[in-house]
Amino acid sequence: MWNRKSRWNLILFAVVVLLLISSIFFLWMKTNMEVRSVVEEQYQNQQLLLTRQIASSIERSLNERVLLLEVIAKKDTGVPPDNYLSDLKSVYDVAGMFYVVEYVSEEGTIVSGYPEDNVPIGLNLYDSKQYRAFEMVRDTGEVYVTDPLKLMEGNYGSFIWIPVYEGDEFRGAFIAIIQESDLKSRYVSESNSSSYAYLIDDKGRLLYADQGDYPRRASYAEVTASTSSGLSDIIEEQSKGGDGTGKYLVLDNGTMVEERLVSYSPIEWYNQKWSLAITSPSSDVDRLIVSVYLKLFIVAVVSVLFIVFVSSFLVLILFNWSKSLEKEVDEKTQELKESNESLRAANRKLKELDRLKTEFLSIVSHELKTPLTAMKTSSEFLLENDGCGLQLKEKMLDIIIRNIDRQSRMVDDLLDISRIESDRMKFHREPVEIENTIKVSLEVLASSLKKKDMTVQVNLPDGLPLVNTDKDKLVQVFVNLLNNAVKFSNEGDMITIDVVEKDDHVEISVIDNGIGMGPEELERIFDKFYQIDSTSTRKVGGSGLGLSIVKGIIEGQGGTITATSEPDKGSRFTFTLDKQQDEVSE
Amino acid sequence: MDGENISGKVLSLMEENPGITTKEISEKLSVSESQVKETLESMSDIRQKVLIVDDEMDALIALKVALETEGYNVVEAQDGYEAIEKVHSERPDVILLDLMIPGIDGFEVCKQLRSDPLYSHIPVIMLTARGEVDDKVEGIELGADDYVTKPFNLKELKARIKMVLRRNQD
Repeated sequence: MWNRKSRWNLILFAVVVLLLISSIFFLWMKTNMEVRSVVEEQYQNQQLLLTRQIASSIERSLNERVLLLEVIAKKDTGVPPDNYLSDLKSVYDVAGMFYVVEYVSEEGTIVSGYPEDNVPIGLNLYDSKQYRAFEMVRDTGEVYVTDPLKLMEGNYGSFIWIPVYEGDEFRGAFIAIIQESDLKSRYVSESNSSSYAYLIDDKGRLLYADQGDYPRRASYAEVTASTSSGLSDIIEEQSKGGDGTGKYLVLDNGTMVEERLVSYSPIEWYNQKWSLAITSPSSDVDRLIVSVYLKLFIVAVVSVLFIVFVSSFLVLILFNWSKSLEKEVDEKTQELKESNESLRAANRKLKELDRLKTEFLSIVSHELKTPLTAMKTSSEFLLENDGCGLQLKEKMLDIIIRNIDRQSRMVDDLLDISRIESDRMKFHREPVEIENTIKVSLEVLASSLKKKDMTVQVNLPDGLPLVNTDKDKLVQVFVNLLNNAVKFSNEGDMITIDVVEKDDHVEISVIDNGIGMGPEELERIFDKFYQIDSTSTRKVGGSGLGLSIVKGIIEGQGGTITATSEPDKGSRFTFTLDKQQDEVSE
Repeated sequence: MDGENISGKVLSLMEENPGITTKEISEKLSVSESQVKETLESMSDIRQKVLIVDDEMDALIALKVALETEGYNVVEAQDGYEAIEKVHSERPDVILLDLMIPGIDGFEVCKQLRSDPLYSHIPVIMLTARGEVDDKVEGIELGADDYVTKPFNLKELKARIKMVLRRNQD
C-alpha cells in the first residue's frame, strides 16, 4: 500500500509529531519548575512575614509588659506605703502574662508582691546570695532580663529586673517572672505538624524548639549538625540578629530526607537578643501547587492527545487520499481496459459482419450464377445443336425455365431481406383463415414432399378464430418453414403442424424429426446471411435468408418466433399471430 | 462387386473361349447378365470419359447432355466423397470439378487426388461461380490444370477440355 517514498514521508511525519510532543512535555516541566520557584519564593516571603509578625508581637508584648513596671518604677512619689502592692496588682492584672511581680527594697528584701502565693515575702537576696542581678540593675539603672532559668516550681521562666528610683535615689527593684510556658501558649499555635518554630539566643543557644528533644541552652547548630545540612549557616545569621530566609536539608544517616524552608526574625527584649525561626518542609510548596501541576499536566496531555488526534487524522486523510487516487487510477485503468475490450469486441463483430457480408455476397453470387450457368449451357447447347431430338430440346428448355424461376425467387428473397432490413416491408393485414393458408402452402410444397416421400400432419383445434395478418406473407412463412423441415428431414419422415389458441394470439408450431442442430447453430439460425455449415447448406440449397425473412415477417407484425432443436431429434419452430380482434368482439 | 475385377475375369474367359455368350460368363462369374453386358460395354467404349462434379442438378444435366452430344462418356458426382469414389471406379480422363460442393469441397478433392500417385495424372478443370483471383491461384497451386468461371461459354469449356486431354496425351 505504501510505497518507499510515502513510507519515508510517514517516518518524517512521526518524527515531527514526536518532537512536538516532547517539546510540550519539556515546556510542561520547565513551567512546573518556574511555577515552583515563584511559589517557593512567595511561600518563603509569606513565611518570613509570619515570622516577623510573630517575633515583633512577642517583642512588643514583652517590652510593653516591662514598660508597665518601668512606668511605676519611674514614679517620683517615692515608695508608697503598701510597697507598690496595689500597683503591682494592677500591672499583674493588666499584663496578664506575669507569673509573679515582686518588689525588692533597697536592702534586697522582698517586701511585697502579687499574687501573694507566689511571693516569698521577707526573703533577702543577700541572704540567699541572689543579689548579683539586683546589684547590677542598682548600678546601671537599666532593666535587666535574665536568660530563662529554672524556677522553683520546676518550669522555666525569665526574671526581669527593673530598678526603682525616686529621683536619682535608688529605692529597690521590681522582679517580674514570665513563664516560658505562658509565652509558648500565647504565640505558638499548633497549626500543622509539618511546620515548627525554634527560638535561639544571640549565642546560638537553644531556648525553645517545637520539635526535637534537645537540652536547653545547648548550641543548636551543634546538636543539629548531624541531622541537617546548611542549618548552621542560618543559625550564624540568626546570631547576628538578622532576619531573612534560608533552606537546609534534613539528613538521616547521610541521606537526604527532606528540604526545609526557614524564615527567621530577631526579637530584642532589653538585654536579651533572641531569634525566632519557623521551618516548613518544602513539600508544603509542592502541596500548594500540586493542583497547578495537575492542571498543567492535563493541559499537556490534552495537547498531546490533540496532536496525536490531528496527526492521525492527517495521516488518515493522506492515506485515504492516496488510496482514492490509487482507486481512481485503478478505475480509469479498468475503464480503459473495458473500453479496449469493447472496442476489440466491436472490432471482432465488425470483422465477423464483414466476413458474413463477404460470405453472403459470395453465396448470393453463387446462387445467382448457378441458374445462369444452367441456362447458359442449355441455351448454347440448343443453339449449337439445332437438329437434336424434340425430347432433348424440351429437357433443355425445362432446365432454362426452372432456373429462371429459381433466379426470380432468389431476387424476391433478396428484396424481402432488404425491405426487412430497412423496415420498409408492407403488410396487408386482413382476417385470415389459418387452415386455408396451410392448405395453400402445402400445395406449393407438394412436389418436394412427394420427392422425399414425406407426410404433413396438421393439428387444428375446433372453432379456431381468424388471425389478423398478411395472407401472402403467412404463406411465405409456412413455405419457408416447411421447406426447411423438408430439407433437414430424412426420406419418409413426418412433419407436424400444431395450432394452439391462446389469450389474444394463436401459436403455431412446425415440427420435424429431421437432423436437428446443436445449441450453437440454434443461436444463430435467425441471423441474416447465416447458413448452417456451408457444405450441408449446399446439400440442401438455399440462400440462408429463409429464416431471416420469416423472423422479419413475424416480428414485423408484432409476433414472436422461437426455435428449439436437438441434433438427430429434429427441430421445432413456434411463432405467434394476433387474433382478429373484430371477430372476437362480434 | 468391383467392375474392374469382373472385366479382368471377363477378358480371360473370352480369351479361353472366343464364342462364349454373356449368359455363360454371368453364370461362371455368378453375377447378373446385365452387369456383364455393362462391363463389356464400358470396356468397348473408346470414348473419353469426363467426370462432372456438381451439386446443382440442372447445371450438371445441361452440361452432361452437351458433352455427351459432343461424344464424351460422362459420369457424374454430386459431392466430394462421391467424386473420389467415382475417380477410383471410373478412372475418368478429365474431371470437371465444382468448388462449392457438399461433403469435402473442390479444393480438398483436388488435393487428395494429387497426393495419390494412381490418380494424380488425371487433369482437373475447376468450375466455380467464384471468380476471385485468389481462388484461381489456390486452385492452380493445388494442381488444377485449368480454371473456368461460371457461367461459362460452352464452346470455351469444350475447347479447354480438349486442350487438357491433348496435353495429357503428350
